[in-house]
Order: sequence, then structure tokens, then C-alpha cells
Amino acid sequence: MAKEKVNKTKVVAPKTKFNKTYIKRYWQLYALLLLPLVYLLIFKYVPMRYIILAFKEYKLNMPLRDMPWANVKGQTDYFKYFKMAFKNPDFLRALRNTVKLNLMDLVMGFPAPIIFALILNELRFSKFKKVVQTIAYMPHFLSWVIIANLVTTLFATSDGLVNNIITRLGGEEFSFLSIPSHWVGTYIGAGVWQSFGWGSIIYLAAIAGINTELYEAASVDGAGRFKKMWHITLPGIKPTIVVLLIMNLGYIMGGGFERPWAMKNNLVIEACEVISTFVYKNGIQQLKISLTTAVGLFQSVVGLFFLLTANTISRKLGERGIW
Amino acid sequence: MKKKLFSAVLAAAMVLSLAACGGDTASTQTSTDNTPVVSDSTVASTDDAQPAGPDERGMLDGKFVDTRHITVELYDRNVDGGTEAGNNAWTQWIQQQMLDRYNVEVEFVTVARWTEGDDIGNLLAAQNAPDICYTYNYGQIQTYANMGGVLDLAPILEANKDLVPSMFDWLGDSVIYQDLDPNAGTLWAIEGKRNEICRINTFVRKDWLDTLGLKEPTTKAEFEAMLVAFKDNAETLLGADASKMVPYSISYDVGWRAATLIESFMDPAITDKEYYVNGYDDRKFTENGTKEAVRLLNKWYNDGLIWHDFAEHSGSDDTTEDDMIKAGFVGAFTHNYDYPFRNGKDSINATLAAQYGPQAKFVAVNCFEDKNGGYNKYSYSNTGDRKVFFPATNDEPIASLCYLEFMSQAETVQYLQIGDEGVLHTVDAASGAIVLQAPDDAHHDWYQNSGKNIDMTINCNGLRLATPELTTLSLAYSYSDVDPEDVKTAIAVASKDAQIPPTPSVGDIAAETEGTDLAGKRDQTYDKAVVASVADFDSVWDQGMSEYLAAGGQAIMDERAAAWDATYSSDNLD
Repeated sequence: MAKEKVNKTKVVAPKTKFNKTYIKRYWQLYALLLLPLVYLLIFKYVPMRYIILAFKEYKLNMPLRDMPWANVKGQTDYFKYFKMAFKNPDFLRALRNTVKLNLMDLVMGFPAPIIFALILNELRFSKFKKVVQTIAYMPHFLSWVIIANLVTTLFATSDGLVNNIITRLGGEEFSFLSIPSHWVGTYIGAGVWQSFGWGSIIYLAAIAGINTELYEAASVDGAGRFKKMWHITLPGIKPTIVVLLIMNLGYIMGGGFERPWAMKNNLVIEACEVISTFVYKNGIQQLKISLTTAVGLFQSVVGLFFLLTANTISRKLGERGIW
Repeated sequence: MKKKLFSAVLAAAMVLSLAACGGDTASTQTSTDNTPVVSDSTVASTDDAQPAGPDERGMLDGKFVDTRHITVELYDRNVDGGTEAGNNAWTQWIQQQMLDRYNVEVEFVTVARWTEGDDIGNLLAAQNAPDICYTYNYGQIQTYANMGGVLDLAPILEANKDLVPSMFDWLGDSVIYQDLDPNAGTLWAIEGKRNEICRINTFVRKDWLDTLGLKEPTTKAEFEAMLVAFKDNAETLLGADASKMVPYSISYDVGWRAATLIESFMDPAITDKEYYVNGYDDRKFTENGTKEAVRLLNKWYNDGLIWHDFAEHSGSDDTTEDDMIKAGFVGAFTHNYDYPFRNGKDSINATLAAQYGPQAKFVAVNCFEDKNGGYNKYSYSNTGDRKVFFPATNDEPIASLCYLEFMSQAETVQYLQIGDEGVLHTVDAASGAIVLQAPDDAHHDWYQNSGKNIDMTINCNGLRLATPELTTLSLAYSYSDVDPEDVKTAIAVASKDAQIPPTPSVGDIAAETEGTDLAGKRDQTYDKAVVASVADFDSVWDQGMSEYLAAGGQAIMDERAAAWDATYSSDNLD
């Protein structure tokens, strides 16, 4: 079915064969493309040659090509650092936490901007809508260090603002930060709070692109607001949702460094240590460059696998995927 | 047409910028490869009066003929109201002196104080580290050395001993060669010296004791009773802020912030070997007795005597606790022996006095008795402190040695520490003591970003004046805006029964570069054990300890024990 669709579009689309006339006609556009390409080349592709460090012994005083292959007492073992990583309980814990926290982020954080965009779209008082929108974007521009401090100030067990209010109202103190399962909730909540406003922009743009005649026709047929939302708006932004979902699945093994690093504390270490903090502690702080390169490579390969799988599945389901 | 022209310009700009990038790296490469050597022409130009000319080091009368250039690491503490770390009156003074004395240009490379290890690691990996680096952590230097990133100082010192007489005078062979590997003969770092060896103290709010009619505590039981009294009388002591009362405050770094308590549980008669074997961890995590000390903390925590949220504030720049202490909500804490006196007007005691009057202050007390009834604790060792090393990229080792020589001279250190009379210090008419003061606004550029400029006096940590007598006399006066009597008490309390840790020389311990996140595991165990319920305490502590040992802690202790046995025949050094 997917193949059929591809063939069909090929017939309709203009000829896109890479030929001289085409380049001649549009060379200005290609020239403009050059700059981003050069950026990708220098900052994304050239550094990739250092992936080989995962299979070598890192030395401070020699060029990459002279560094010896990874070895155990002289015996070459290219996968020494991969084996080391998978024997390390800290790494295994970080791996579990990375997948767990990212999955929860996806479950909680992915629908939030969609729902917010749908709600916002129903608002008819445009000034109010704009104010709400702007306020919701704001947290996106805060650094995680600031958010983590806000979270501690608000949610600390005995002197946090929230617990102060709870106890003044006669309730019991609640440990938002010092019990692992509670901490995970706080962590996910902070993530949703920080990103839902910003994430909704792209959905609002997609909604704006839906043909208004569809809504008018639906009104004529007697559809209410919920019916219109369900039958027109949501299907209208479905391709956007799918593309973003695929991209998010690609990040399932990744994830930023600042958020877990800034929010962690010693009492919940079993829940908050993730791959990026593991790499920072061992690679940057202890200069175990080869070990952490191996971890990074593993992380990227698994991420790529998720991305490709998600893309294939979405194409099988009749969506366009991301390429 | 316009569009075409525009894109052509864009494309051209891109090509040019690329070319510029390439050219830049190429040129820096050649400049680093090109170690300056004495050219024939300079030799010829200085031949008139002295036919001898410069020696093989390129020096004439102890001064380089050609100007040399070295880079030196300097901590940046980002002090409120301080000056630019790498460019102020002090750095300029050093630069001028080095130029006048040795014809060496000094450039300071600043690294953030609390992430210095990470920063230096990055600079080393980028082949960009300063020629002279220093850090407190020898394991780190050893890691760099294993990767080929550090110069072996043994042959350099051997060949140039005549250049550094003051350094040998000041440090002596035992300190300079403390890190010499007895097997390989390599010397990766030169240890510095600590001139103030007081280390830790427990402080209590004197005015609170007076208000409640209590005496200063002298035992754990009295200390605990005092904490209970603080808690029970929060209304009296803090009025409307009673709910903010924290009888005893610690931080997530329990091993440091309860050090007086932990060390009082150690056996004062411990052998030098046992101390060394457990000594990799400077928070006494694996010592006999530490578990019982933490059990007591755990009891106090569950009794509500310790700051409840200490572990939730875990950022190293989180100032919540300091702010609580300065606001006057805290009854007692353990820290550096001089902590309440640091930072002049911003010091804890000066801040309290400004809010609540001169009687409001922290005083040092000895209140954790050991099993013999004394107050067992450890001071710093006089020998071995910050370690200076030269990265492999240092192509001016001799000029760098000249810098160390300059920094080892008593006059240099004294000037950096006390500056000009009238600006940074006055002389007490009665005793002759040097009394430090903060510079006024007109001389703000002479502000010391680190206390007594310790970040600049790289192989001397602590006050070092012309004579040892003057140093001792002036120590209590070296804090501005606090009562010198309180400092004297703090020094006496910190010195009582304080043992000086042994500093054996047994060579490199390979396992110390292999552990994974040992300090992290230690802190986690300390924190979790303190907040555990009394019933869970044992299991939490034992599990944390076994994880620490399995992650490399045990291997380090075993290798240390073996290295000791291979070097010394007795369990004690003397």
C-alpha cells in the first residue's frame, strides 16, 4: 500500500531528477543551502571521526591516528570499553533510568502541547488568547539551573513554599524531592511545565493551515465544537503529530544533560542518574574519554534504531514519515 | 540580477571564512611547534662586555636574553564585589616582577574555582592547558600522566636545581619529592605547603547559649541537650521566625560538615598505616567508627535537631544554608576552622553582628569527646597541599621553574598576602602584629579575590610572613571586620588534640585512577544514612558501603596497604 502511494506521487510531482539545467536554474537556492550544509559538515560530520576513540586508548599527547587500539595488558580488544560499560552497574542503572524517564516524558509530555493547542484554538477572545500563549511560552526560555532552583524553593520538604501552604492548611508535609518515585513525578512535571507552551506553537501553526471551509461545512451539518475538534482539527494536524512523535522516539535514548544534572540530589540517585550525567561524571570529570565515547556511540546507535523503526511503522500505517 | 549578486557574495563569504578557519589552525600549529630558541643574532648583539654570552638555557645573569612567555592557571572565585580574576593590581604586579627579574611574560588563565578539575581536563584534552597548573587532587594529575599529558619534573629539577634555591629552602626535599615514584623515578607534581594547619571546628551561637543560660557544651551529651534546648526555645530565640529554627545545620557533604563528630569516633591511637590505607577518601568514609558517628547524626535527624532539607539542596553553588546561618536561624554547625570569619563585612559573624548586635556570633567549641576523653581530630599536614604540575604542552619548563622560584620567596608571598601598609594592613602598635583590612574604594584594585591571595601563592597556602613568630602573632588579625579574640579561640580549639596526618611517600596507586564516582557514592551513602529511619539505618549504610567498596574503594585500600608494606617495615612512620 505504501509503495502504491509513493508511485502515485511520483507521477504527479514535477520532475526532480538531479540534472544540470535544474541546478543552473536554481543555483541561487543551492548557494544559500551551502552555509547550513557547511555547518553540518563541520560541527556534525567532522567530529564523527572521533567515534573511533571508543575503540582506542585515549592519550593526551598524541594525534588520533597514533593512539593505540584498546587493549587489556597489551592484548588488543577493540570492544574493551563496551564490555566495561556493560559490566558497570552505574551505567546499567543510567541506561534504565534514561529509557524510563524519557518514556514517561513522552507519555506525559507529548500530548500536553496538543491538548493545549486545541484548547487555545477554541478561545475566541484573541487578546486573552495571546496573553495565555505568551505566558505559556516563557518557561521555555529559562535555563534548567533556574528551574531547578525554583523547584527546590517551591517543593523542598520542610521549607518549600508549597509544603508551607500545605502544613498551614493542616495537611501533612509531602516529600516532592527526597523519595525516588515522588522525585520522578516532580521531574516529569517540571519538564511538561517547561515545554508544553513552546511545543504547542507548531500545532497552532498546523491548525491555522486547516481549510476553514471544512469547519463551515461541518457547522452547516450541525457539528458542535467537540465534533469539529475530533473530526476536523485533530485529523488536520495528524501528520504533524506523527512527525513529532517519530522525532521524539529518536530521542528516547538521548535527552539533555542540564535537566537531570540540575535537578538531581543524593537521596534519589537511583532514579536520577541518566546516561548524560554518567558520561559527564566519567568523561569530563574523570577523563575516561574512551569509555564514554563507547557509551555515546551505543546511545546513538540505539537512538537511530528507534527512529528508523518508528519511521517504518508510520509509513506502514499510511503516514508520510519524516523521509 | 540583484539576487544573483547577493548569493554570489554569500557563497564567496562562506568560502573565505572556511579558508580563514583553515589558515588559523595551521598558523597556531606552527607557532606551538616552534619552540623559541636563542638565535645567533641575539648572542652576537650582547657580546661586547661579556664575552661569555648567555648559557645553554638562554639566560644571562639569571635572566632570559629573549623574552619568554608562560601561561599560569589562576582560580576564578567570581567574588561578589571582587575584581577581574585574571587582570587586577595583583596580577599586574606579578607580571611586572617576572618581566623585570627573568624577562618572562606571564599570562594568567583563569578557571572557575569549583569546577577547576573539569576545566583543566578540558584544556589538557584541547592541548591548551596553561604551562603551570595546580590542583588539590593528586589522583587527577596521575590520570593525566597516564595519558601522557604531564611532564616528568624529576629530570627538569635535576638539571635546573640551581635556579630554584628559594623553592628548595621553602619546601625542602621531602615536600618537593613527596610524589616521586620509587619504582619509575617519575615526579609528576610538586607538592605545596600549608602554613595554617588548623582544619575544622564546631561553632555554636554564643548569644543563644547566654539567653538560655547554658554553658558551652563539652561533650556529645551536652551538645545534644543544647540542640534540644534550642529547638524547645525556638519562640524565645527567634520569635516570629520560630518555625525556621535549625538547631544543627549540615549540608549534602556530610563527611565534611560533620567532620569533628566523625573524627571523634575514630581511635586516636590509629596507626599511620591504617590512616593512610583509609586515607584516599578525605571524608573518612571507611574509617572505623564512622558508622557510629553517622548513627548519632541519624538519631538527631529523626529527633528533628538537624536541618531537615539538607540533602535536597545539592548544588555546589546553592547558598541556602549560608543564607540561613547569616539570617540567624542556625544554632550550630561544623565547617572550616575559620568559616564564620571569612569574607570581611560579608562574613557570618559580621553579618550577624550587623543585624542583632555584637553579642550575636558563633564561637568555636570542642564538644565531641573521643574514647579517651580528648577531642581527637585531624589537622592538615604542613607538607603536601596543592600540587603544581606542568602539562606536556609546556615548552617553557625553565621559565616556569623561575615562576615557582619567584613564588617561593618570602618577600613575594608576604607582599601578595598583606600588600602595602595603609592599603591592606596596619601594624598593631602594642603587639606589632599585622592587622589585615579590606582596601578602601580608591584602592579597590588591590582587593584580594581569595583570602590572603592563596590562589596566587601557589605553593604556600596560609599566612607566611617574614618570621614564623610574626606569622603566628598576626594570624588572629588576618580577618577584617571580626573580633580577633574569636579567631584566637578558634585556633586554640582547632589545635586541641589535633593530630597531623602522616604523609608517606609510596609512589603512585594505580587503582586511584580507576574507581567510578567514588566521591558521589560516598556522599549518597552519607546522606541516605542520615535521613533513613532509625530501623533502616544499618541496611542503608551497609548497602551504600558495599557499593562504594565494589566500585573501586576496596581495590584502592588493598593497593595502598600493599604499597605501604613494600615501602615501610613498621606500621608507623617514626
